[in-house]
Amino acid sequence: MSTTESLIDRLASGLQPVKRLGRPWLRAALWIGFATLLIAILVLLRGFRADIAECLREPGYLIPLAGAWLTGATAALAAFEVSLPDRARAWLLLPLPAVALWVTGFAYGCLKDWIEIPAGAPVAADSVRCLTTIILATVALIAVLLPMLRRAKTLRPNLTAWMGILAVAGFADTAHLLIHMVQASLLVLVINLVPALAIVLLGGLAGRRAVAA
Amino acid sequence: MNTRSRPEIETVNTSSAEMRAPDSDWSVLMARGQDGDAESYRRLLAGITPYLRSLARRFGLAGPDLEDAVQDVLLTLHQIRHTYDPARPFAPWLTAVARHRLLDRLRRRVRQFGRETALTEAHETFIAVETNLSETAGDAGRLRAAIAQLPEGQRSAVEMLKLKEMSLKEASAQSGQSETALKVAVHRAIKRLRVILGDE
Repeated sequence: MSTTESLIDRLASGLQPVKRLGRPWLRAALWIGFATLLIAILVLLRGFRADIAECLREPGYLIPLAGAWLTGATAALAAFEVSLPDRARAWLLLPLPAVALWVTGFAYGCLKDWIEIPAGAPVAADSVRCLTTIILATVALIAVLLPMLRRAKTLRPNLTAWMGILAVAGFADTAHLLIHMVQASLLVLVINLVPALAIVLLGGLAGRRAVAA
Repeated sequence: MNTRSRPEIETVNTSSAEMRAPDSDWSVLMARGQDGDAESYRRLLAGITPYLRSLARRFGLAGPDLEDAVQDVLLTLHQIRHTYDPARPFAPWLTAVARHRLLDRLRRRVRQFGRETALTEAHETFIAVETNLSETAGDAGRLRAAIAQLPEGQRSAVEMLKLKEMSLKEASAQSGQSETALKVAVHRAIKRLRVILGDE
């Protein structure tokens, strides 16, 4: 008996039933639901930003807000899809339009703050509060997303990790835009990209399998 | 059951009788395997192996490397079998898993060849003088001298059982000693040799 045949016998003889992985869109929907709920809880705890009524009439605020939420949702769906071996890499393109909407917020936010924040304004204190919101949301979102993605034992750990972290960044910024007045979309992206880079780098060295399974 | 995968599979290998049987569709076998049906799972793995070999050949693998690659794919398939959705065709899923694993293997090979250089005769030694000395002039000579220092009984036991590689029975017949006595003599001789060679 060849080694391949004996391997087949060994694999079959010790076979255990397995719980099938749910459909990727369903798993993504579950996580998106959790993320939206988390944002609602954070808003309840910290309250809407003071100028929310005014902001909701401004396309310059609504477009990046919608972009951030849609980035989170589409990137999450893309992450769950590409984590499976037979799904097309074209899923990676899905978040691009939402990212484009979100990116419009960076330039707008930077320009607005540059013009409007007067000298001596307590920007630093608010920045610390907004940083804690971002970190809190990021940690909670990753804590739920990571085990869900690991269930797929993906053969594309790097792409899955990147999409996952983009999804986390999108939702964390949604929370931030609703709660804090300082536009820090770029900050959110950087904060989330650093762990993404770390994950990818570690993946390349030793943790690639850890991200995968 | 989705039958979209059938033509793709059959162009690769149509010789398997299992593949033609209607109840042996790979998707069905895989779904049963996911439920713990060992026989269906074994039939599935045996059924896809020729296809995997043909795929590995197309990736330029041959010989033991090819068989290693096939086993690697089978192991991966086993580990992630819960990710297969029976509502979808099996062949694209299998091909994707196999391609991932085969490409990984090729990448590893390219990296390995990029780092390694084939050795020629000129590489088979080192610059240091002592590495080029003949063994007989070194270790073997020391060992012979150490054996000569052993008591007669131990020396003859080592010579018969270790140097001449005689069996215990043969050595016993030649020396007239019991097999147990020979074993004890060799054991003591080796202990003594360790001391002699270690002291030098």
